[in-house]
Formats: sequence, C-alpha cells, structure tokens
Amino acid sequence: MKLVWKLLRQHISIGQFAGFTLANLVGMLIILLGLQFYQDVQSIFSSRESFMKKDYLVVSKQVNTASTLTGKSGTFSKSEINDLKLQPFAQSVGVFTPADFQVTCNMGMKELGLQFGTEMFFESVPDEYVDYASDQWTFQEGDTFIPIILPRNYLNLYNFGFAQTRGLPKISENVIGMITLDITIKGEFNTDHYKGRIVGFSNRLNTILVPEKFMVWANEKYGKGKELNPSRMILEVYNPTDDAIVKYFDENSYETEDDKLAQGKTTWFLKLMVGVVMAVGGLITGLALYILMLSIYLLVQKNTTKLENLLLIGYSPRQVAAPYQLLTLGLNLLVFILALILLTVFRGQYLAMLETLYPDLLVPGLGQTIVVGIVIFVVVTLVNLLVIRQKVATIWKRKD
Amino acid sequence: MYQTIKLDNVLPHVFEERRSQMHSDVWLQQLQFQKGQLYLVEAASGTGKSSLCSYIFGYRKDFSGTIAFDDRSINDLKVSDWVNARKSSLSILWQELRLFPELTAWENVMIKNNLTKGFQPVYQLNEWFDLLDIADKKQTVIGRMSFGQQQRVALVRSLCQPFDFLFADEPISHLDDENSRIMGEIMMSEARKQGAGVIVTSIGKHIDLPYDKVLKL
Repeated sequence: MKLVWKLLRQHISIGQFAGFTLANLVGMLIILLGLQFYQDVQSIFSSRESFMKKDYLVVSKQVNTASTLTGKSGTFSKSEINDLKLQPFAQSVGVFTPADFQVTCNMGMKELGLQFGTEMFFESVPDEYVDYASDQWTFQEGDTFIPIILPRNYLNLYNFGFAQTRGLPKISENVIGMITLDITIKGEFNTDHYKGRIVGFSNRLNTILVPEKFMVWANEKYGKGKELNPSRMILEVYNPTDDAIVKYFDENSYETEDDKLAQGKTTWFLKLMVGVVMAVGGLITGLALYILMLSIYLLVQKNTTKLENLLLIGYSPRQVAAPYQLLTLGLNLLVFILALILLTVFRGQYLAMLETLYPDLLVPGLGQTIVVGIVIFVVVTLVNLLVIRQKVATIWKRKD
Repeated sequence: MYQTIKLDNVLPHVFEERRSQMHSDVWLQQLQFQKGQLYLVEAASGTGKSSLCSYIFGYRKDFSGTIAFDDRSINDLKVSDWVNARKSSLSILWQELRLFPELTAWENVMIKNNLTKGFQPVYQLNEWFDLLDIADKKQTVIGRMSFGQQQRVALVRSLCQPFDFLFADEPISHLDDENSRIMGEIMMSEARKQGAGVIVTSIGKHIDLPYDKVLKL
C-alpha cells in the first residue's frame, strides 16, 4: 500500500488541496458558528422566568367607550374560540378561566407593622402555558394552601410607587415569598379560609394566577354553576410576525400586548440573519466540495495511466480508490476538528461579551452544533468517496 | 484455476471489412490454449497481436465472437472475477511493459509481489535480477533505464504471482541473444514449476524454445 501511495500521490497539487481545506473550513465554521450563536442568543429570549415563551400571544377584546356604556361583555364565546383555533397561524389556544366566586385577601407581617386586606380575583390558564416550573405549582383537593403567581409589575408598583411615598419598607421577591396570605373565598352558599403564598412572578402575564386544578375545583364548589366565558386567551403561534395574525385581530377587534409581537419580530430577524449567514456558509461548503471534486477529477485524469496499470496487474478498483478516499477522509476530518476548535475560540469571545450583558445567562452546550458538524462531515465525505469510486470505475470500464 | 482459454470465431472490429479474406490460425477460428502447453503466435505487425492480449486480459472489448476461460465467457466475468484472474490466474508481460516510470526497478517488482502477499521470496527475486544482469539497477528509477532493461524488470514482475497462463507479448524485442536465452529459461522454469501454459508472441525474432504449437496470426 505504501508503494501504491507513493505512486498515486504524484500530481497531487498541494495548492488545490490547501484551497479546498481552507474553503471547506470557512464554510463549515460559518455554518456551525451561526447555529451556535443562534442557540446562545436564543437563550436570552427564552429565559426561565419569563411567563410567555417567544411565540405566545395573550389575546383580549378591545375595550372602548361604546362597550363600556352598553355593558357589552368583553368575553369570548365558544364559537369565537373555536374559530381562532382553526386559524392556520394558531398552534394551540388556551383560555384564561375566571373565578366564579369572590376572593378577599389579607396579608401582613406584624414584625414590620404592615397589614392590609383587599378584594381581589383569580384567573388560571392550562399548565402547559405556564413556563414557571416548580413543585409548588400544584393543588390537590383538600389542600388549604394555594400557590399564586403575580405579575412582577404589581411588586414594582408597590416598591417604587406605594412604599416609596408612604415611607414603607421595600419588599424583595424572596421576602414576599415568605409572606403567608390569608385568603377568604366567598361563594354563593359558603365561605372558606385558605392560606396562600406567592411562589413566583411573571413579567408577561397581567393577572393573579392560580393553578388550573384549583380553579376547576373551586368554581365547582363555590360557583353559581353558570359557565363563564373567558375574557382572555393565550394563543401559541407558529410565527408571531405572520401578517394574518394582525389582519385577523383587526377584523375581530381583538388586541394583544404589542411587545410580544416586537420580541417575536426580533427573534424572527435573528433567525433570518442566522439563516442567511448559514446559507452563505452552506454555499461556501458546497463550493469547497466542488473544488475538491475538480482537483480529484484532475488528479485521477493525470494519473489515469497509473491507475489503469494498477488495475491491469491485479489491483482491485477498491484498492486503487482507497488512497484518494483516505486522503479526502483525512482532509475532511482535519477540517471538522479545526472548525470545532475555532468555534470554541470564537464562541468564548462572544460569550464573554454576552455574559457581561446578561450575567445569569444560561447558554446551551455545543451538543446540537457538533451533531450538525458531524452530519456535514459525513455527507461531504460520503459524496467524496462516491465520486472517487465512480471515477475509478470509469477507468476500469475505460470510459471517460 | 483455469485449464483452457477458448477462442471461438473471434475477430477484432477493425478487421470486420476484411472478414471474408481472413487467413489466420487465430482470428475466426476455434482455438484452445491448454494449460501446460507452450505456444508461439507469430505475426506481422498490425495483425492484432497486442489486441489479442488486451482482449484476453479484459482490457479491450472491441471484438466479435467469444473468448472463454474454461467454459465461462469473459463477458460474464464480474469485476472481482477479473481482479482475481489478473492476480492469480493470468499473467502478462505487456509489449508496452506498463511499468511505473516514477518507481525504481525493485519497487516496480514489489508493488506486484506485495499484492500477491510475497508470492516470490526475496532471494528468488534477487537471483533473477542477478541472472538478468540488472542487479545494479534495482534502485534506479524505471524512467532512466533502457527499454531492454525495462523488459527484464517487467518479466520479473510478471512472475510475481500464481498463474495458469503466462502471456509474453514480444518479450525480447530489445534484448540481445544471450539475455533472450536467459529470459526464456527463467520464464520456462517458473511456468513449468507452476504447470502453466505459455503464449509467446513475436513479429520475427523469437526466443528459441520447444514450442508445442506455432500459430500464424
């Protein structure tokens, strides 16, 4: 085999192969870096505590003077909900279930000399729309403890508005989590007392949220038995920038918080940019593959007589193809490893920057990117091996 | 293992228009080369002597009629069959030698002997190099050797495999009588050792050997 290699390496152009290696490296690196960058930046958008994932919209009906005066209900009927579910942009629809009972809440910390009570309300959404994951977010019949999620701006309102002007102490999220709430639920026929605690805050959802299990059970126990239409829905969409959403909302006078669409747009542009970058990387990889193909064609062409003679003295096409196949395999492997090393280096640089902007950022690992890299490596190598085999086969058949 | 090579009505395409005027012991005949026999195919140049070798080695297919190894037509041979045949049943000393000019004489021999997993022991190869008077050329690149020297290297290479038939296409065209005699001896002793058939072609000058059959092409 050593002699065969000595023979077949004649006419190998270092320049061409270096060109291929470099071009393939650049292409592969762009693809992998684009993919990894997307994943890393994506983690900023889908940080753990944000209630809404990127492609969720909260839908409500517009409230205007006319509807206030006429007392027209701002709730969604069954047919309206079903119609929304049937829209092509809707992946799934969840409804906010309102409470069919009255809620009063007393809270206080005697040590701080702070105590007040208020009337309030509860709403719930199906658990799959709650991306606040916690063991406490559950309710069993017979429990006297109700977990609650509040909008974060309620706390801000208190801390920076109320407490500031009244000279009251500011309360942190951790402290508020320790406060026990005395909750009184007053139904049509009975009144019960419960303990409640705020287990989390949501940036996105403007409601006082309890587990859906509790809501279903409590509505049955305390409610008037009348079915209540929801006034808000959560819509999971495939693409928040879809024009059809805006159009549909306008036609039906629905509305949604604008920043959802804005963030969706940002994500979409990020996807678009990364997509373009990766396409360019793919193109470069494709061209690199083409360069390699051309050099191999040229090489085989120049070495045709040698290959032919090897075949005539009894070497099999496979044995004759093997040196070139091993060569390309080696080159591709080199490119793959170099691309991974460079990826780690470049990633280290931008991660350092991202971490100064988002200190508690949890970035995903390299796993998915490595898998994609392996796929590219395997595909490129397979194409190489096949072409070389094909080329040797034509020499065997003495066809050009 | 092949016992016979059969030619049945074989004619190169280029001779097709002269089909009716063909007077040949080979073309358009029923012919068998038997293992263990020694043949001389005599030909004027341009009568298709090298074509015959190319057909039998599967290098060219521009002929009509049938060539068969034992009773198997060579048209039915698969790639792996050909590889095996060229490695362990048929050996040839091509007229154009088909050596690798970039490699040395010794490397040219070893590239074949390695393929057959050292079929000839190194001392045997050394002995042949000595007998053929090219021992001092072992490390010389083929491209810098005379054609006569190259012919001798090609002979040694052709013996580095088991064979049922050995073809020598004008093996001594550039050799003096003494070297021709030595070449003939080496060739025949190895062929006898292997019990192989030998087919020598010539366009006039030929090795003086006890031929079993002489065919005019």
